[in-house]
Amino acid sequence: MSADREAILSRVRGALAPLHQRASLPDWDNELIHMRTLRGDVDAWTLFQARMKLVNGLPLEGAPALVAWLVQNNWTHGYCDPLLWPRLQSAFPAGFTVETTFDRTRVDDYQFGITRAAGAVAETGTLIFTDAATSSRLAALTPWAHIAVLDRAQIHLDLQHAVTQLADDPNIIFCTGPSKTADVEGILIEGVHGPGQQVALLLE
Amino acid sequence: MKFQAIDQFAANLKPSTQAAVYDGSKKGYDARTKTLFDHFEDPNRLRVVAGEIKQHVVENLDTYLPQVEAKLQANGVIVHWAATAEAANQAVLDIMRARNAKKMVKSKTMVSEETELGHFLEKNGVECVETDLGEFIIQIDGDHPSHLVKPIIHKNRRDIAVSFEKHGLGAYNDDPQTITQRARVHLRKKYLEADVALTGANFISAESGRLVLVTNEGNSRFCLAAAKTHIAMVGIEKILPRDRDLALLLNLLARSATGQQLTVYTEFITGPKSAAQPDGPEEMHVIFVDNGRTDVLASECREILRCIRCGACLNVCPVYRQASGHAYRSVYPGPVGAVLTPLLAGKNFPAFADLPKASSLCGACNEVCPVNIPIPDLLLRLRDKGKQAHVPSPGMPPMGPWALLASQPTVWKAALVGGKIINHLPTKLLPIPALRAWENKRSLPEWKGGDFRKWMKGRARPLGAPNVSRGGPSGPALPGNIL
Amino acid sequence: MLNQDRPRPTGKRVQLMATCLCDAFYDDVARATVEVLEYLGCTVEFPESQTCCGQPAFNGGDWDASRKVVRHTVQTFAGDAPVVVPSGSCAAMMFHGAILEFEKEPDLADVKALGHRTWELGDFIVNGLGITTWPGRYDAVVAFHRSCHSRGSKSGEAATALLSSIAGTTLVPFGEAEQCCGFGGTFSVTFPNISGAMGDLKLDHIRKANPSVLVSGDMSCMMHLGGLSEKEGKPIKTQHFVQVLRDALKNGNLL
Repeated sequence: MSADREAILSRVRGALAPLHQRASLPDWDNELIHMRTLRGDVDAWTLFQARMKLVNGLPLEGAPALVAWLVQNNWTHGYCDPLLWPRLQSAFPAGFTVETTFDRTRVDDYQFGITRAAGAVAETGTLIFTDAATSSRLAALTPWAHIAVLDRAQIHLDLQHAVTQLADDPNIIFCTGPSKTADVEGILIEGVHGPGQQVALLLE
Repeated sequence: MKFQAIDQFAANLKPSTQAAVYDGSKKGYDARTKTLFDHFEDPNRLRVVAGEIKQHVVENLDTYLPQVEAKLQANGVIVHWAATAEAANQAVLDIMRARNAKKMVKSKTMVSEETELGHFLEKNGVECVETDLGEFIIQIDGDHPSHLVKPIIHKNRRDIAVSFEKHGLGAYNDDPQTITQRARVHLRKKYLEADVALTGANFISAESGRLVLVTNEGNSRFCLAAAKTHIAMVGIEKILPRDRDLALLLNLLARSATGQQLTVYTEFITGPKSAAQPDGPEEMHVIFVDNGRTDVLASECREILRCIRCGACLNVCPVYRQASGHAYRSVYPGPVGAVLTPLLAGKNFPAFADLPKASSLCGACNEVCPVNIPIPDLLLRLRDKGKQAHVPSPGMPPMGPWALLASQPTVWKAALVGGKIINHLPTKLLPIPALRAWENKRSLPEWKGGDFRKWMKGRARPLGAPNVSRGGPSGPALPGNIL
Repeated sequence: MLNQDRPRPTGKRVQLMATCLCDAFYDDVARATVEVLEYLGCTVEFPESQTCCGQPAFNGGDWDASRKVVRHTVQTFAGDAPVVVPSGSCAAMMFHGAILEFEKEPDLADVKALGHRTWELGDFIVNGLGITTWPGRYDAVVAFHRSCHSRGSKSGEAATALLSSIAGTTLVPFGEAEQCCGFGGTFSVTFPNISGAMGDLKLDHIRKANPSVLVSGDMSCMMHLGGLSEKEGKPIKTQHFVQVLRDALKNGNLL
């Protein structure tokens, strides 16, 4: 296999040898990818909400709003990150079963999963997940509804900003709306392998 | 008349398939145009800069490859190299066998289609399940994808419903929502039972060693949340210099492919899961695959290695729209395929030398390419290569005699005047293939050879003499006329 | 890809490259080109030994054959006057294609020099001579087809600017205008099924716009679309834009 390594690298060198000059790396300004219609003087959470709605995500504020939405959908059995549960527990009435450990042998038991976001991107309506902030990758992904809990201070204004401040984490996910496909005749269907409902919950 | 293979394929294509391909392509093109032009002041400038960045990487792979390897290893990733498709497949199998792994779930990656990994693994007793919905449907059908991004663009809901019923996924139901739900339920079990997750990578940052995966369905996330070992198969050309360049390329990729600002999931992966995380791979491997890419690098068409597999060129291509992806007989169809496939074929080039000819050289592909690949120029170079390799070209009029004619003015002028006889001949009966191919669908205009020259001779004045026609210097001054 | 900055013409002499298509089929387009250029004050020289720009063999992959013809063209158009050609595709051959196929040739510089002074007609009138409006009259509803070889150049804009300025002329848009008509040179006879289908699609869109005439800067596209429409018994009138310019002058008693 290291023979393959040498073979490949020597072929690469051989292929590039005849070039008199190598193409240089251009410098580019952030202005290049500045999205024009989006800004004005809105605060990040306001912009984030607007952009998230465009991709069919659901931004909510406060635990009571979340509970009302879950009740409306009749989703009463779910999972919550144990570090978050103390902040949310009081808003949940009886009749809810919320587990704080995720049992992967019973994935279909969980109708919703609540985990922490590590950040967000306002201009795209994107939530950011990391291994460090996500108590269980499966819990954030397998239930039909995923709720990512967000703090105002975590919201980046734009993609450029977010990408140059990626955390030192092995698995960072930029999540923009519920999972979807258009493989069948180009028709948009939500909720494929990931959640069919993606919520961003702002908790102060 | 003998037609070129791709032309014949187009002529025989079922109208419903052709309509599905046309509509799907046009939707993609329109969506791309809208988001790029709505969102950015100068979208073409983005493509030009992105093209320069990728060209820089291509021309400096000798530096970037070792750099990325070192970064990956420092991040705890095990790096492998595979010079050929066989080596790549074997590397995957070796990793699985070493862990006694029997089940794989696979996220969409074109490299694995190139190497036919799925078939290889099945032959060697490993279950390999495609998890991307389109690829899953292709897999159960024993079919081949016909588009880079939309693998079943050629199928309609009825085709899929029939397949699902045939493969025990439920009684006939062609509602797209139901189809998707059924796939979701079926594949959930597969993810959770899998030992190994296989993905590709859309980009690798040389600065941080991050792999970037761009998906909509959540299948790669599920693969990487459930399985214990992650293997990424990556073409050697997928590198980007800096993390910040990701911002530019990510802004271009989804918009070019589907008109989305970003796909639903963009994953940045540097290594196996963190210690505190209960779910995910404990081990991560990257296999750098050559499989002909160094041949492309050595050719005069190395710009094609900039390709980020967005499919925009397919969506806009009038030939792709008429013929569909399967006409190209390869993993990579459309304009990008017409360049990449013959080159990746190496010694087998002649078998694919017709692909670069299936183009009117309209240039629409270059116009939409997020990395500004001069595809028409590359197609022309490959036509030259084909001629030099003496690959025959059905239907092509012989150029040698034409060149002789066109470099001897006296003969040319005589032919112009003599050609008038064609106006009186039953051209349909003439044994000239090009003429017949033309007249099969079009009428020929009247031959007027020699008429212009005769008129011009009658009008000509000695050079340098003042122009005495009515609109000359003594005539009305035209606004803005600088002469 | 095709945008090239040419030096502004400094005199009134131009050389006309009539194109092999006009030589064989469209004598009136070549005539109109001469009449219009002379009206604009140019002295038009027609080097008689010209034949073809070499594009058919270039596109067909026979670069040896093509180079032979290009070399003949370089000789024919010796000098330094602007070379004006009523065809986007022939012009693009001179300033892009020929340079590509001569990359490794010892006479690349000569080919480049010729390309550097070659102008597509519309581009020459508007950007070379600085004409922004056109006098006279031409009563018509015009569908303008911008040929693919003028992608990335200023030719399409130039022609539509002139046409839309003519009294009596209305330009109508039509669907999928960016899609190729299907001619593509030898493509039209090597891939006739696809070529025909592409042309039929375009004719569909054009007909929906209901123009009285289809106009372009390339007779190759017109030969293909016109030929298709005639064969199916629903002929559509086609004109090179220079014929419209000339006719506008005639109608205005300026020629």
